[in-house]
Amino acid sequence: MLETAVHITQVLLALGAAGTVYRIYKGPSVLDRVISLDVMLIIVASMMIVDMVINDHQDFILFVVVTAVIGFLGAVAIARYVVVRSPEEVAPDAPAHDPVPFPPAVPVGSSSQQEGEPETPHQPISTPVMPGVGPLEDESTSWFSALARSGFTPKRREDPMPEEAEPESRQPPKPESQPDSTPKPESTSSPQQQEDRDA
Amino acid sequence: MLESPTADVILDALASVLLVVGGLMSLAAGIGLVRLPDLHSRMHAATKPQVLGLLALLLAAAITWRSWELVPIVVLAWGLLLLTAPVSAHVVGRSGYRTKHMRRDLLTHDELASAVERISREQPPNRG
Repeated sequence: MLETAVHITQVLLALGAAGTVYRIYKGPSVLDRVISLDVMLIIVASMMIVDMVINDHQDFILFVVVTAVIGFLGAVAIARYVVVRSPEEVAPDAPAHDPVPFPPAVPVGSSSQQEGEPETPHQPISTPVMPGVGPLEDESTSWFSALARSGFTPKRREDPMPEEAEPESRQPPKPESQPDSTPKPESTSSPQQQEDRDA
Repeated sequence: MLESPTADVILDALASVLLVVGGLMSLAAGIGLVRLPDLHSRMHAATKPQVLGLLALLLAAAITWRSWELVPIVVLAWGLLLLTAPVSAHVVGRSGYRTKHMRRDLLTHDELASAVERISREQPPNRG
């Protein structure tokens, strides 16, 4: 009975591995391949467990332990270096209201490529994750401002974005030598903060 | 441990069922990785053999070995996976959201959108 179950399990694991290999080959982004490789590692560890069950030995159990750690490290290391997709690929039918697209390396005349694979990044190198982020930027909130600068307009069903927030988020980054305590004349949306500073 | 033949049969049957369950989890992950449309739903499918499937297979192995000495190693293997799988899924999902590797038309509600909008409205982007 145990041998029959082992044969059935091996067939199921092989089918799962086939689907995983298909996603690794086809996967449109790096992150898809990362999670598929994670599943592939787990399937390899499962194969070792099945072999230990049918042959009644314990030689591979440390490999199973190590597999868990390796999958974790690989996913975390690769996920740090994924690049941003350009805003045209995210919403190709959105109105192009942005006069100065950020990042400027986005090709304007590349609309003919959008009918192809929609999830394939066109220029993966030229659009880094946090462009223009200086050392003064707070690390915990810098990805929010990077998202806001890159023309990312979040969709909400109610309460659309007001108009005065739009040009403010499009401004080019200032030189980093400007001290923080200087009140900025263009930051009209925070008069209370300036009053708090003066008081 | 138990030396009576009926206990052996019962334990073997239990181990067989657990083996097949673990294999089914891996098959579900493979089908989900092929069929599901975008990154975050594929991540949902990919976590099935990481926790449940490996738990079933490790339990089957521990049952067929019939020894208590190997149970701590089995617990260590599964505990490590249980600790690291949420962290790696969090990191992959976060970078998937930040780098826009997602299909917004498939979302029913985006809870992070209000936070991004609020931060981008309150703070000038060059101050961060």
